[in-house]
Amino acid sequence: MHERLSFYAKRDSLLHRLNPLTKLTLVFGFVLISFLTPFYWTPHLLILFGVIPLSFLGKVAREYFNTSLRLILPAAGFLFIMQALFQPLEGRELFRIWFLHPTEESVMYAFGNAMRIFVMVSSFTLFLLTTHPSELMSDLSRRGLPGQFAYVVISTLQILPQMQAKAQTIIAAQRSRGLDTESSFLRRASSLIPLVGPLVFGSLVEVEERAIAIEARGFTSTRVKTSLHAIPDTNSDRLIRWALILLILISLAVRLWLS
Amino acid sequence: MKIEISDLHFTYPTGVQALRGISLTIESGEQVAIVGQNGSGKTTLVKHLNGLLRPTSGIVRIGGWDTKDHSVAKLARRVGYVFQNPDEQLFSKNVGTEVAFGPRNMGLDGDQVQSLVQDALVMTELSDKTETNPYDLSATWRKMVALASVISMDTDIVIFDEPTTGQDAMNIERIANVIKALRSRGKTVLTITHDIDFCAENFTRVIALSQGKILLDGNANDVLGQEEVLAVTYVEPPQLTRLGKRLGFRNTVRTQDEFLTELERYS
Amino acid sequence: MAIVNLQNVTYQYPLTSSPALRDVSLQINEGEFVAVVGPNGAGKSTLCYTLAGFVPHFFKGELTGTVEVAGSETHSSTLNEWVMNVGLAFQNPFNQISGAKYTVFEEIAFGLENIGVPRDEMISRVEDAMKLTDISDLADRSPYSLSGGQQQRVALTSILVMQPKVLVLDEPTSQMDPIGTREVFGVIRKMAEQGMTVILVEHKVEWIAQFADRVIALKDGEVLLEGTPGEVLTSPLVEESGFGISRYTSVARKAQKLALWKKHKLPVTLDEATEGFAHPLTPNPSPERRGEQ
Repeated sequence: MHERLSFYAKRDSLLHRLNPLTKLTLVFGFVLISFLTPFYWTPHLLILFGVIPLSFLGKVAREYFNTSLRLILPAAGFLFIMQALFQPLEGRELFRIWFLHPTEESVMYAFGNAMRIFVMVSSFTLFLLTTHPSELMSDLSRRGLPGQFAYVVISTLQILPQMQAKAQTIIAAQRSRGLDTESSFLRRASSLIPLVGPLVFGSLVEVEERAIAIEARGFTSTRVKTSLHAIPDTNSDRLIRWALILLILISLAVRLWLS
Repeated sequence: MKIEISDLHFTYPTGVQALRGISLTIESGEQVAIVGQNGSGKTTLVKHLNGLLRPTSGIVRIGGWDTKDHSVAKLARRVGYVFQNPDEQLFSKNVGTEVAFGPRNMGLDGDQVQSLVQDALVMTELSDKTETNPYDLSATWRKMVALASVISMDTDIVIFDEPTTGQDAMNIERIANVIKALRSRGKTVLTITHDIDFCAENFTRVIALSQGKILLDGNANDVLGQEEVLAVTYVEPPQLTRLGKRLGFRNTVRTQDEFLTELERYS
Repeated sequence: MAIVNLQNVTYQYPLTSSPALRDVSLQINEGEFVAVVGPNGAGKSTLCYTLAGFVPHFFKGELTGTVEVAGSETHSSTLNEWVMNVGLAFQNPFNQISGAKYTVFEEIAFGLENIGVPRDEMISRVEDAMKLTDISDLADRSPYSLSGGQQQRVALTSILVMQPKVLVLDEPTSQMDPIGTREVFGVIRKMAEQGMTVILVEHKVEWIAQFADRVIALKDGEVLLEGTPGEVLTSPLVEESGFGISRYTSVARKAQKLALWKKHKLPVTLDEATEGFAHPLTPNPSPERRGEQ
């Protein structure tokens, strides 16, 4: 069937067993620490001694490296090149070609920035690889996130790919009525309404029916909700979260003290 | 306009072999029903007729045109396709504009479009609803708008994909009348249907598919009488055919008139 | 004791020009299996929504008259209370899947999570419900990977697990292929045999005739006729009003005019038709009938 909009890789690993909020804290921790700490090599160290080992710990190293090579590296690399070449800082020029005159300082600066982005996207990737979206929403709901919000997020993840299928059928139906989708761009642009119209109107009907269906299953019940799966929150989880918060605060403190 | 299919094979990108060697010819003006269980290849087959799908191997010719050589938009002038769910094609602000969409796409001038639209609206009993927004109509009438939108293209071949799903008896009768009207104009009408009684009452040739191949292809009475073979593709014979068999009729009956004629012979 | 009691119910949806239900009165006893037939637009879906409390609580609009279903009453009960007593399922299985769960087991448990059922009880109720509807083997599948018939059975199970006292089904087989139809009817029949009060809106009259206790014919928002399947489905009034009747009935009616159907009562099912036509026939069943065309 259609791919779900989720990166999740089902494994049994230390990372998988961590509480979703812990992992979310880990992500924010890595990001904040790499952006706050004044020490230049922090992001690089976080990658080498944080992200990469964690990917092995989470048994998702292969998926992580795949995503890194295909997505993260090119994006960070592009950013690096743009910043290094087009935003020269004062300093020793490395070379001069045409209007490009990167300096040593701008290269270092760009490298640092690119690495911070790399850390950010990498940590989110690890998070998505080891946390099932419904698990995250369940846990957050338990901690007070409104049920309706959680439902909208989760159902969108599953229903959007289904809507893709619907969109395909609409395109086929309109093509069968002579709608030209194989010629010039202008013509294709004007054919948006016949394609989007049915998608929107049809979805409105579906949404109403679905609202009735979930209502019929107690969705707006005022009772305290229970959950089928127990999502554990252990002492280690709490310890890790507090440790991360501490590290973030230390980074902040060091930055303020040094500035 | 002849439909010629020669050793058609089709495999989806997912690897599913949906059609495994279909060959058939449909002459101009025939009324053909395609039956078979879900997954037997009915929709896949029919999508080859207007170019939505192109053969993995084999040839599909519509009035001499090889579908590989023509776009879907061009083939739409010869083959009209009424999809199952009207809500997946209706978008205009009123019924008239909606029904005009098809003929307009074919580049006809204003007068020609108008006359085709009027004609289609009369055939589908929608003349009094021209100014209504399709989404203000009930599901029953939205179905008729969808039919009108394809009929207005005045194609020689018209394909119906499960036209009776979710319809009540009165609307099924309206749809049957539309098919009769098309027949009287010499159009070739094809339908995919699970409703075997609807099939029996309105179509003279039945093709039964099973697992991407043709299981049976012939005169409706012949095919619908072969209960055991049809069972392979989970098709049950029509109500009156079954009754006729139980009563020991020699001939296979499929309409009320045939049944009564046979009944008189035994009394 | 009537578990469903409607008295003089008239209801109009907001922003519409005429009532969808006009002065409808009906009583249904516990354990009865009642079928509702009628053309599209007759008010069948509105009736279903009324029985399930969605009219007027979800749709708003004006409702006059009394609606009492399984202990809930229109003016004094909230929709939350109502859904605990009445289960509702409808045509399109895809729209009944919440989208919030990734496996069939979780999907069925969704309702129980919402109403706060403790985990152990939840698990055993889901397992029991799945056994009842014979979908235990689908437990780990994604609801979106199933066939139409399977999805509809999952939707039914998700409702049954809430243990309603009354089951209201609005054309559950309209979008099914023959296999799916058979599967869904199988579940409904089982529920009815186990004593559940079932209200089923359907077009497939042959099946209704075999299993329903009573049939209500609805037209233009009013009750046209009410009675046993035999009475309602063979009534000339029903045929004239454009209802879908079985071919056996209409061919027998025509045969009656030609004096070829001798019985007084018209058939609805294959068996009734066979029995009715067979007797006056001289024994002439040809064993080679299949070969002779």
